[in-house]
Amino acid sequence: MNPLDDHRLHLTRREFFGRAAAGLGIAGLSSLLHRDGLAATPVSNRIPGLPGLPHFAAKARRIIYLFQNGAPTHVELFDYKPRLKELHGEPVPDSYIGGKRFSTMTGKADGKLLLGPIEPFQQHGKSGAWVSSLLPHMAGVADELCFVKGMHTDAVNHAPAISLLLSGGQIPGRPTLGAWLAYGLGCETDNLPAFVVMTSVSKGTTCGQIFYDFYWGSGFLPSRYQGVKFRGSSDPVLYLNNPDGVSRRMRREMLDDIAAINELKLQDFADPEIATRIAQYEMSFRMQASVPELTDLSQEPQSVLDLYGPAVKEPGTFAYNCLMARRLIERDVRFVQVMHAGWDQHNSITTELYTQCRDTDQPSAGLIMDLEQRGLLDDTLVIWGGEFGRTPFIQGDIKDRKRWGRDHHPYAFTVWMAGGGVRRGFTYGETDDLAMNVVKDPVHVHDLQATILNQAGIDHERLTFKFQGRNFRLTDVHGQVVKELLA
Amino acid sequence: MFAFAKQRRTAHWWGVCVLVLLAARALPNPVQFSRDVRPILSDHCFQCHGPDEKARKAKLRFDTEVGAFRTDSQGIAVIVRGKSTESELIRRIESSDPDDVMPPPKTKHALNAEQIRLLRNWIDEGAPWGKHWTFETPSTPPRPSLETASWSRNGIDEQVLSRLEREELKPSPEANRAALIRRLSLDLTGLPPRPGEVAAFQSDESPDAFERLVDRLLASPHYGERMAWDWLDAARYADSNGYQGDGERTMWPWRDWLVKAFNQNMPFDQFTIWQLAGDLLPNATQEQKLATGFCRNHMINGEGGRIAEENRIDYVMDMTETTGAAWLGLTFTCARCHDHKFDPITQQDYYRLFAFFNRTPVTGGGGDPQSKPVVEVATSAQTQKSRGLDERVKTEAQSIVKMEQQMFPRPEGQPLKAWDGFAELPKEVQEALAVKPAQRNPARLETLATHWKTNDVSYTAALDHLRNVIEERTSHSRTIPRVMVMEDMADRRETFVLFKGLYDKPREKVEAGVPASLPPLPPNAPTNRLGLALWLVSPENPLTARVIVNRYWQQFFGIGLVKTAEDFGAQGEKPSNPELLDWLAVQFVRSGWNVKQLCRLIVTSATYRQTSRATPALIERDPQNRWLARGPRFRMPSWMLRDTALAAGGLLADKGGGPPVNPYQPAGVWEETTFGGKKYRQDHGDALYRRSVYTFWRRIVAPTLFFDTASRQTCTVKQPRTNTPLHALTTLNDVTYVEAARCLAERVLAETDSIPEEAVERAFQRVLARRPSEREKEILSRAARRYETEFSADSAAADRLLAMGESKRNRLLAPARHAALTLVCGEILNLDEALTKE
Repeated sequence: MNPLDDHRLHLTRREFFGRAAAGLGIAGLSSLLHRDGLAATPVSNRIPGLPGLPHFAAKARRIIYLFQNGAPTHVELFDYKPRLKELHGEPVPDSYIGGKRFSTMTGKADGKLLLGPIEPFQQHGKSGAWVSSLLPHMAGVADELCFVKGMHTDAVNHAPAISLLLSGGQIPGRPTLGAWLAYGLGCETDNLPAFVVMTSVSKGTTCGQIFYDFYWGSGFLPSRYQGVKFRGSSDPVLYLNNPDGVSRRMRREMLDDIAAINELKLQDFADPEIATRIAQYEMSFRMQASVPELTDLSQEPQSVLDLYGPAVKEPGTFAYNCLMARRLIERDVRFVQVMHAGWDQHNSITTELYTQCRDTDQPSAGLIMDLEQRGLLDDTLVIWGGEFGRTPFIQGDIKDRKRWGRDHHPYAFTVWMAGGGVRRGFTYGETDDLAMNVVKDPVHVHDLQATILNQAGIDHERLTFKFQGRNFRLTDVHGQVVKELLA
Repeated sequence: MFAFAKQRRTAHWWGVCVLVLLAARALPNPVQFSRDVRPILSDHCFQCHGPDEKARKAKLRFDTEVGAFRTDSQGIAVIVRGKSTESELIRRIESSDPDDVMPPPKTKHALNAEQIRLLRNWIDEGAPWGKHWTFETPSTPPRPSLETASWSRNGIDEQVLSRLEREELKPSPEANRAALIRRLSLDLTGLPPRPGEVAAFQSDESPDAFERLVDRLLASPHYGERMAWDWLDAARYADSNGYQGDGERTMWPWRDWLVKAFNQNMPFDQFTIWQLAGDLLPNATQEQKLATGFCRNHMINGEGGRIAEENRIDYVMDMTETTGAAWLGLTFTCARCHDHKFDPITQQDYYRLFAFFNRTPVTGGGGDPQSKPVVEVATSAQTQKSRGLDERVKTEAQSIVKMEQQMFPRPEGQPLKAWDGFAELPKEVQEALAVKPAQRNPARLETLATHWKTNDVSYTAALDHLRNVIEERTSHSRTIPRVMVMEDMADRRETFVLFKGLYDKPREKVEAGVPASLPPLPPNAPTNRLGLALWLVSPENPLTARVIVNRYWQQFFGIGLVKTAEDFGAQGEKPSNPELLDWLAVQFVRSGWNVKQLCRLIVTSATYRQTSRATPALIERDPQNRWLARGPRFRMPSWMLRDTALAAGGLLADKGGGPPVNPYQPAGVWEETTFGGKKYRQDHGDALYRRSVYTFWRRIVAPTLFFDTASRQTCTVKQPRTNTPLHALTTLNDVTYVEAARCLAERVLAETDSIPEEAVERAFQRVLARRPSEREKEILSRAARRYETEFSADSAAADRLLAMGESKRNRLLAPARHAALTLVCGEILNLDEALTKE
């Protein structure tokens, strides 16, 4: 922002506060106390958190969720099972699948043939974590990561499972994790939203997973808490740019005129909503400056860009979004949801999985290293994972290697976390020798949610919102903090 | 930043004062059960001691009188009337033993001191019991005795004034005429008044000027377009399926029916019956069947791997819950899996209601956005063309039948395979010949044509003719909208309670029926959707009329008399003025469910006519205007903002109805969401300027120029209203608004090109229906001069601004002046007052 604009803005505010204090008196003050979604504080666009929150000191001041949409195959990537390799091509033993429900593409799992992981695994770092050779960069930071191998969920199709993971319910319409955080803890920046979402998909992927806006919705919470989706193009926020022919100075003048007339109205009508309106328009002006500054990568050293890999400067890629996530949290955005689609390998384990890993591996690891070297990893929680796992048995014809695939598998999958007060170089939970079912330390998606909220300083049972007569919370009526994961 | 910190501190201090005041507040005397006690029991006890039998602890329940006054096997009475000290309830609540105290500490639902005192007082006063208020049939409340009755214009005002007198508040004066006509026009048509209409109303001195204005607006065809919006939200109407695939559907004839129903003032009881059960009426007409499209507006999941029956159950649940929310204001969703925790709705009740909708032939398989049963809604030209094509298919097929008689000689009346040479034909040719010519699909006709290509030219040609006509008929048929509607199978599907709501876990069988805690189906009503609809609008139903009048009230005042318009159950908010709500509900039913009459009653009240100008003291007493000591004032819905901008710019297209349109939208939004699967094809010409209600609604990515809209995924009866910077960016920068500003500037400059003051005044009037004050005019005129200087120095910038939007620019106007006034009009369109209905 140029100094002149800054000065004018300051003047406008000072004038406004001067009058507001005199003209509004108690009404203005009471609107400060009033957080009903109908009136916001006229003083700033920083939305305050709820009184009494955080419930306890937060270990993670900021959270980045690297959401892998479509369900990455835990069998290929993290959950190493030598026995699965030995039994490759053999039918699934009944004892592993009895009475279980799969998607209609599999129907009954009886008689399905087991499919060994397509690439070898090695142990890495001091922690000796098993990671597939498909993910060399993540393997390189294995000592920073906390692997949760006993994840399981209730839903067997993408949209309901993602909805369950992000909002606590399979049916769209509940507030998502980021919305709960924004609602509970407020917004710490004047220039950007508290909750930002970015999406990407690997080039050439054939999967059709769609990013529904309820994945970052605010459900029944006021819509100001919903995630703001930054688009993967030169114009990351819709309608951000002034109309053609209108300069920033002209826009400043327009806003000053609008504010001047709105202030007359405020004095006449005393409606605190008018004060909100003035603040709302000011914030839009600041976002017009802060968003381009955010996306201007010219000051990033090459060594940092290199961490994220070759696609980092291309808007709309996962690499670009990972870098943007770091820049956003540096600017006090509380929750960044980076979603990457294309993991739904029903018939492309031996083909598209390679592209998918190439596009996500280095940027994910690069983000961890970048945060670490800036000292941000300690109080930033990063989570990496999808909505469920993939079947250890095949979908397709075992003789047709090019078309090998795996179906949806809600009974076991792997998620990793890093930073934000979780243990480093740690593996928790275990599946059976075929990676089919969790046999030790299961973590349900509601438990994961409870744990994430816990790191943000929130008791998941106490962050509730009354809607349709019931107190709702992210974890529905379930969830337990997984203390073993915490440093 | 200093000011910020200081204000926050003051606010904090003030907060402490409020808390102190609250703590010292006197308790109600006497305590009223349904107002004061039941909510505490509901909030803190029902979870474990409420209607849900499976969750109930110690067999104790507080939701019924018998349950609450039970004495247990050891002779301990939970509540002893008149004796709080002997009541186990109080002992347990006040206990300091963590194993003994109620509610248990782990529930984090402990009662505060005031709540405990309230319960004590209630018990000591004899513990009178009562039903939750919404389950009692409404009756006309007694006329209140008022100190200043002269203010009242109708029964609404009597109840409002009675409440104001209790609060020692006075109503506000009537708003001025300009404000009134703008308020009325926006409320009843969603459009601003034209300057001529404002002038005429202002100079109309007849005593019934106001009422005549109301009648004129109620008769406008734009009334139906305005009223339809909220019902479309409740009906989760969209132009695509939702979910992956998101196929486009053709439900818009139902939307047109809806607009027409409002315009023709269809009584609400009929409106209900048609939409829920039009197909079951004797000799149901096409229109009555079409109305049942309401039920089928739910999402359809065509995701690969979905189990058809699971989908189907989802759809029936959606219909059940939509009906519950839209008419009864009750949330049935919880009861999918278990008895409701707070309201007397059991899981049995849920599946009994579900059973009404569980009889259609819908299978749930696939993502066909026109899945049967459907009604075709063809124009007469389309019907004529269909008939012509059918005729041509018949003719072509007959000539083939004749040819095949000769080509494949066989005994009279025998099928083709009786021909001697049949067995030697290739299998696919045999299969094709086995089908009668008129029924063969293009692929089969092609197979035959290929087989005989070299040795029977005339037969091949005839086959090609038939194929072409059939293909033409198919593509024509696709252009005919098919609206998914309701139909009951003769063979009724059985309904079972589903364990935890899971489609594959049926438990005990249930029959269709209404919730046991509400009045029964009317005598002689059939036990099907028609009976259900009749029950909803029977005079005994305690909920429907209240729920509906509350929603209309919400539409006019921005907040319902019951703020939780979506929940009239035990956990919903109690009405701010229960007498007014009941009075309106009774009037509504007595009027024959006359919706226009209800609107007329509301807008002609003195309550509605008050100015929305407030004082800081009044804002402090009643920040949300629940007591109605002033007129309504709130930000208009985003669709109304767009329509008013188009109207002010003179761009609004008159055409109503028809297929949805695609107005301006930033490039790539659909493509990005659907990975290129859905391409946005923006319309041109008039289609860019149709009313917002005709905008194509893609369920997975709603039109971007609207904000704070219902998701249109499930039933929504209360729209959010928030203020984010993104909204400001939309109305400042979206081409829709910039073009409207440019055209508004064009309009006023064509009328007066001399001095900015006049142009500013005219533009201001077109948007706000009033003259600007001197100060306002000064600010805007100064802006016009300033921008004109700037654009004169940079004419390229002026040209770029004036090129926004596809409507033709008036090139006779001086570009710098035109561009300057465009910015000023943009300022006017973005004033708080322009964004607000007041």
